[in-house]
This record gives sequence, structure tokens and C-alpha cells, in this order.
Amino acid sequence: MKSIQEILKEKPALGWLIFIATVVLVFLLGMLASSIVQRRAEAVFAYTPEVTFSENEPRNSKWGELFPREYNSYLKTADTTFKSKYNGSTMVDMLEESPRMVVLWAGYLFSRDYNQGRGHYYAIEDIQKTLRTGGVPSPQPNTCWACKSPDVPRLISQTGPAEFYRGTWDTKGPEVVNPIGCADCHDSKTMNLRISRPALIEAFEARGMDISKATHQEMRSLVCAQCHVEYYFNKNMIEGVQYLVFPWKNGTTAEDIEKYYDEIEFSDWTHALSRAPMIKAQHPDYEIYLTGIHASRGVSCADCHMPFISEGGIKFTDHHLQSPLNSISNSCQVCHREETEELIRDVYSRQDKLIENRDILETLLVRCHVEAKTAWDLGAGEEQMKDILTDIRRAQWRWDFSAAGHGSSFHSPVELGRLISGGIAVAQEARVKLARLLATLGHNREIPYPDISTKAKAQDFIGLDMKKHNDDKKIFLETVLPGWVKEATEREKSYDH
Amino acid sequence: MQLFKKLIPPDNWKLPVILALGVFTGLGIFSFHISNASSYLGDKPETCVNCHIMAPQYATWSHSSHREWAHCNDCHVPHGNIISKYYFKAKDGLRHASMFTLRLEPQVIYIREAGRKVVRQNCIRCHSELLTDSRLMNYNRNTNEFRRNRDCLECHRVTPHGRVNSLSSVPNARVPLPGPVAPGWLNNAIKAKNK
Repeated sequence: MKSIQEILKEKPALGWLIFIATVVLVFLLGMLASSIVQRRAEAVFAYTPEVTFSENEPRNSKWGELFPREYNSYLKTADTTFKSKYNGSTMVDMLEESPRMVVLWAGYLFSRDYNQGRGHYYAIEDIQKTLRTGGVPSPQPNTCWACKSPDVPRLISQTGPAEFYRGTWDTKGPEVVNPIGCADCHDSKTMNLRISRPALIEAFEARGMDISKATHQEMRSLVCAQCHVEYYFNKNMIEGVQYLVFPWKNGTTAEDIEKYYDEIEFSDWTHALSRAPMIKAQHPDYEIYLTGIHASRGVSCADCHMPFISEGGIKFTDHHLQSPLNSISNSCQVCHREETEELIRDVYSRQDKLIENRDILETLLVRCHVEAKTAWDLGAGEEQMKDILTDIRRAQWRWDFSAAGHGSSFHSPVELGRLISGGIAVAQEARVKLARLLATLGHNREIPYPDISTKAKAQDFIGLDMKKHNDDKKIFLETVLPGWVKEATEREKSYDH
Repeated sequence: MQLFKKLIPPDNWKLPVILALGVFTGLGIFSFHISNASSYLGDKPETCVNCHIMAPQYATWSHSSHREWAHCNDCHVPHGNIISKYYFKAKDGLRHASMFTLRLEPQVIYIREAGRKVVRQNCIRCHSELLTDSRLMNYNRNTNEFRRNRDCLECHRVTPHGRVNSLSSVPNARVPLPGPVAPGWLNNAIKAKNK
């Protein structure tokens, strides 16, 4: 056989043929490569919207222009008609439901007013109306706005978190006006989920974790954990600022968090009757959820509270955040093939059983506070009361950690059963110690349970001047609030230019 | 070897030939890299949205009860042995790649007969107890007939993707699509310069 040089020398046309074949091959390979590049570039654009508003646009309706389906479903959080056995979207006066809570929170603003919340749509309206925020100046810091509005990330981006938290609640009234919405959870450029609240990022850092490493599925719970968590205001970090902190340094169970508070000797308030250094559990929804079976099977908050729904030929995430008891087929039956009634019955049976014991703990705590007050009145000393007050703090922490969440008795019934039974044991321990102390002080009879059959009677019992608080609020709503609204409307007009 | 020696160019041609071969190889590696070709050997569901038209299938699966238990390959490639698995994967994958490259994809993608058979086998692979449970005879006397001759998907059509699967059915779904072609540092540098 001849070498290729020799062949080519004899037939130059063959050289040309090889040349043309190579050209064609490179051409096709180039076409393939450019097609791949093109289709990959498509992927970048196909699922990224052409956003026309600014990075921290607080007005949900502006986002709604680009995402009408998501926005329209979000607007349904304005619906207050759904009521389940214990929760739902209707506002319920919890102090009327359980006047015992008034006594449990004596000396703290919660004893004035505490409602079962409505949908996200009412976040601003309801914080303006609650007696806990009072009038002007408010007894609360601006930190209370932290969870209420997409105006919060807007303001924090301007001044940083500490300056945002500084000052009393009424000073940022005209600035924070849009209810919880789009910018709280979404990045305006990519529409991916984002963490907009520094407190959660800092809580991860405190545990040596990096929240930016969270997967999309984890983010579908973490965006909720920006607010639906236990938190406290740290007054010792920056002068004059009540800094929002999630107390997760030791972990997220009730005991881990209690240990954290004990270590820094923190208390939210001193109880007006028992003088115990109390901790108020906020709404540790995420922490309780983490201990439940759904979390350990990889189910996120959004899987049940924001299921995929179909409208015409389009599927999208239902932004009507609500109790899954009102969307059993989309939320539960994706995995559980039981009848609707049966699934609802399952939820209610867990709630019934846990609330049965929670009520017992609640009653015991009322007795603890009243009996401790009697002991003080009979001349008990600080040293004699110390252990008892610690027990009361611990028992009520367990009660509050179980009671304050939304739907915790479903999210993690076993954990809640553990907490409540532990709380009952600690409360009884306190009462044994109290009985012994009272006997030492010469009082060896049962201390009568107060008549707190209604909210009004309970508030009267702890000595609240409800008329004053109601009047203050009325004046605020009639004279101050309209000014806030006007100022905000003027300010937002400038956003569109 | 003999043939290879014959292809060796004369000394004064060597440099141009090396350059030409380099161009070829480079273009090949480039195509391999931007198409995430190596990912096709693995089992990650993200691989299937290398082509963005699979976004509806990914989004519906990730909202389904199968998400926690079965990934794309668990259902869509045979699991008899490694050869049948990769043979099927290569066959199906090359078809998909050609359709995608030539823009021949239909607005609504349906599974083909070969794929359907594979899915059926995989339904049975995990849910065999549903076929062997003799109590089912109590509910339906045709159970025996059905389990031999009918297809799971005939009834369970919404498992797990649902029935709405057009290319435009999930316009806003968050799906792990491949990012921009240029590397991150280059994009950042361009962004920084434009600022």
C-alpha cells in the first residue's frame, strides 16, 4: 500500500475532497455547538421574567402585573371565612376563648389583646389595630414591624437592620404599609426564593451554618422561618436598639432555647402576680415542624400550605397561604389516599387530645401564679421563692411553646405531648413546693381558683385598665393612622417615575 | 498500526495538521462541556432539565409524592442490568438530544411505547405488592386479567406528572435549569465592568 503522500501526489483531486469533507464536518460541529449554546441561553431567559420594577419594590400589586395567577391567589388570603375546629382564617379573640391566658400573661402586653391571626393580607391592618402596639408613643420598638411587610427589606437595604429596629413602633408607621407579600420571599431579578430578613441569616451563622447553601426544597420552608419562629429582642447588643435575634445558638428544641435564655439570664417580663422571670414563646412553628414526621420525610411548608394547582393549561404554586384543612385534595391527598373526612378527623383527634392536656397545664399555671402571689403576700422571702419561680418560668415556657404556634399539635403531636406533659410535671412540682412554703407561712388551706370565666373578669382580676387602653387605640386609629396612610400614598407615587 | 503510519504527514505538514486536529478536539471538548455531557452518566434529576423543555416534567415530579422516593431514572430507564440500562439511556437520550437540537419537539410531549413499557416495569418493581395482593380479588373479579394485560398508566395517568404537560404549562416554576454558558467569574467581570 502506498503512503498517503504518494496517493495525494498522484490524485490532487482527492486532497481537495478531504479538504471539503473537513470543512463540512467542522461546519456541522460548529452548528451543533452553537445550537447547544443557543438552547442553553434560552433556558436562562425562558424562565426569568423581564422585571420592570426596582429590587425592593414593596407594592405587591406591581409584582402582580407580571404574575397575575400567583398574585390573584395571594389576594385570597383576604378571605376570612374558613374556620376549622381550632384555627382557620377568621379572627378569634383568644383571650375570650381562654381567659386563663390573661392571668398567665399578667404584667405583659399580651394580657390586653391576643387574637388568632388572619391571613397575610391583614398583616399591617392587624398590627395597627392590636392593643399591644398601643398609641403614640408606642410601648413597642420598630422591631415589631420586622415580619409584617415587604417595606421592611426595602428599609433595611437603606439603613441596615440595627437602624431599622431603632425607635418606637409608631416612628416607622408611615413607612411600613404594604402587607406581607412578594418581596419578602422572592428575589426580584430571578424570582428565586430569597431570605430577606437578617435575623434568620444571623441565626444560621450563630450555629456555624451557611443559609446560602440551602437547597431549593429547604428554602421552601426557610422563607417561612424568617417569621414563623421563636425570637426575642436583645437590648444589650447595640445601645438604644432592641435587636431581633432567633435564640437558636444551642439548637432549636424548647430545651435548647430555654438553656440559651437561662445562660444570658433573659426574661421578657416579670410576672405581675407571681413575680417570676417569664419568657414569652412567640410562634415557634418552624422549630416544632422540624421535630415532626412531615419534616423528617422531606416535606416543606410550601408542599402543604402552597400546593401546586392547575388553572386552565397552567400549573402554578397556590399563593393562597392557608390551613391545608381547607385544601385537603391539593395538600394532603397528593400523598395520602384517604377520604377527606377521614383526614380531617385525624387532624382533629390529634388537636383534641393535646388541647385536653394543654388546658390542664394552663389551669395549673393559673394556680401557680395565684398561689405564688399569696405566698408573697404572706411574707415569703426571695430565697424561699427562687426555686418556685424558676419552676413557674419553666412550666409556662413549655405551655407557651406548645400553645403559641399555628397548628403545632398537628405538625408534631409527639413532641407537643412531650412538652405539655413535661410542663404539667414541672407546674405540679412548683405547687408542691408552694404548698410546703405556704404551710410554713401558716397558710394550710386551698387557695381558691379566681373567677376568670370571661376575658373581662380575668382582666379585671389582674387589674388592667382596659378602658384606657381601648381609648388610646381609638384615638390612634382616628387621628394618627389616616396621616400615615396619606404620607405613604404620597411617597409611593414617586416610585413610578 | 501500519495504516496509522501511512496517515502520518510529511515533516513539513506536521504543524498544520497538529493545529487542525487541535481545532477539532477543542470544538469537541467545548460541545461536551456546554452540553453537560458527563452528567448523563449519572442519575441526578437535574440532568433531565439540561434541556429546558423538560421543565414541566421536572416541576410536576418535584410537587408529587414520588419526589422523595423516585428520581427520573428510577422510572424511565430499565433496571434489569447495567447494559440494558445504559443501552436504553443512550438510545432514548440520543433521540431526545437530536429532537431538541433540531427543534423538532412537539408542544405536548407524550411518552412513547418503549418508554411506557419501561415505566410499567418500574411501577411493578416498587409496587409489586399491589399485584400480588390476593385481597384485591374481593374488590374486582377481573383483577387477574387486569394485572396481566393492562397498563398501570391506563388508570394512574396523573401519577406523578399530572395530565397538563404542555411546554408552556409551568411558566413560573423554579427548576434547576443550567445557568449561563459563560463561567461565573466572566459574567461577574462583565457585570462589574458594565456598572
